[in-house]
Amino acid sequence: MQGSSLDHATEKDRRLARLMQAAQEGDGSAYGALLKEITPWLRQMVRYRRRFLQPQDVEDLVQETLLSLHAVRATYDPKRPFLPWLAAIARNRLADSARRYARRTVKEVASDTLPVTFADEAANIPLDVYGDPEALRHAIEGLPPGQRQAVELLKLRELTLKEAARESGMTVGALKIAVHRAIRALRNTLSRDR
Amino acid sequence: MTLDTDALIRRLAETSVPVRRLPAPWMRTMAWLAIGVPYLALVVIVASPRSDLFQKFSEWRFVIEEAAALATGIAAAVAAFATVVPGFSRKLLLLPLLTLAVWLGTLGQGCIQGWIRLGPNGLSLQPDWFCFPAIVLVGAVPAITMAAMVRRGAPLTPHLTAALGGLAAAGIGNFGLRFFHPQDPSLMVLFWQFGTVVLLSAIAGSAGRYLLSWRTVIGRSGQQAG
Repeated sequence: MQGSSLDHATEKDRRLARLMQAAQEGDGSAYGALLKEITPWLRQMVRYRRRFLQPQDVEDLVQETLLSLHAVRATYDPKRPFLPWLAAIARNRLADSARRYARRTVKEVASDTLPVTFADEAANIPLDVYGDPEALRHAIEGLPPGQRQAVELLKLRELTLKEAARESGMTVGALKIAVHRAIRALRNTLSRDR
Repeated sequence: MTLDTDALIRRLAETSVPVRRLPAPWMRTMAWLAIGVPYLALVVIVASPRSDLFQKFSEWRFVIEEAAALATGIAAAVAAFATVVPGFSRKLLLLPLLTLAVWLGTLGQGCIQGWIRLGPNGLSLQPDWFCFPAIVLVGAVPAITMAAMVRRGAPLTPHLTAALGGLAAAGIGNFGLRFFHPQDPSLMVLFWQFGTVVLLSAIAGSAGRYLLSWRTVIGRSGQQAG
C-alpha cells in the first residue's frame, strides 16, 4: 500500500518534471498545465502553514509563489525531482512573507478606531466599492493602454517607479500621471457600475 | 494583487519563452574560474611576482596554505552557486568549511611553531595595510563576475549566498596576493590576509539583500517576457 502511494508520488513528480522541461523549452500549453496542476497544492500548503490568513491573502501568496517559480524556472534541472524544487521556492516565499509581516507589525502603532473621518468628500469612499475583483479586472481592462500598463506595473506587480519606467519605456513623470489618471478613471467606473 | 490566479496562469503560459537552463554549480564554478584566473595572472604579472617564488614552492607550508586558499575559493564558489538553486543539498555548505578549517589549521600550526622556535618574537604583529586593498584588487573581477552569475539564480538565502560569493572572491584574491606580496610569518598571514578574507566575506554577506531579492528577479523576468 505504502509502496503504491510512493509509486504514485514518483509518477506524479515525473509527469510534472516532464511538463517543466517542456515549459523551459517554451511550450506554453505544457507550462499552463503544470501551473494549473500545482496551484491547488500550493494553495493547500499556504493554508496549512498560515491558518490565520484570509482567502485573499492566501491567493496573494500563491500568486507570488507562481511568479517566483516563473522568474527562476531556468534553475530547474530536469534530472532532479520537481516537487522538492517547487517546495523549496514555496517555503522560501512563505518565510519571506512572514518576515515582511513581522517588519510591518513592528512599524505599526496600535490605536483605537478613530471616531470621525475627514470631512473631505474624496476621503469618504465607500470601502465596498473595490469588493468585486471581477469588476475591477474589467475596469482595468477598459483603461487606455498606457494607463493600464502603469496600473499593472506599479499597483499589481508593485514595481518601483524606476523599474516600471525601465520596463515600459515611459518616463517616471509620465508614469505618475498615467497611474493617477487610471486610479481616477477606475474610481469613476466602479462608482458608476455600483 | 487583484488579478485572479487563473488569469495569472494564463498570462504566464501565454508569455512563456524558452529559457537557458542554469548549468550545475561545479560547471558554473569552472566558468567563473575561466574569467577569474586569467585576470589574477594578469594582476600578478603587472605587480611583478616575488623574487623567491620558485623557492617558496619547495616549502610545504607555503604550498599547503596556497592550496587551502585556492580550495576555499573554489569550494565557496560551488556552494554559492548551489545556494541559488532551489532544493540544493545543504551538505555542499560543508565544503568551504572544510577547506577553511585546513587553511586555519595550517596557519595556527605555523603560529605555534613560530612561538616554539623564537618565543614571543615569533608572534610579533606588524601593521601591513597593503593586504586589504591588494586582496580587493585581485578579487575584484572574480567578485563582480560572481555577483553577476548568482543573480541568475533564485535569491533563497541572499546573505549566505553573498557571503559565500565574497569568500570565493577573497579566497582567490588571497591566493593571488601571495604570488607578489612577500609576507610569510603565519601570524601576519593569519591576521592580515585571513582576517581580510573573513572581513570581506562578512561585508559581502551583509549586502546580500541589496544584491539578491525576489522583487528584482521577478521584475526582471517580467521585463524579459514583455
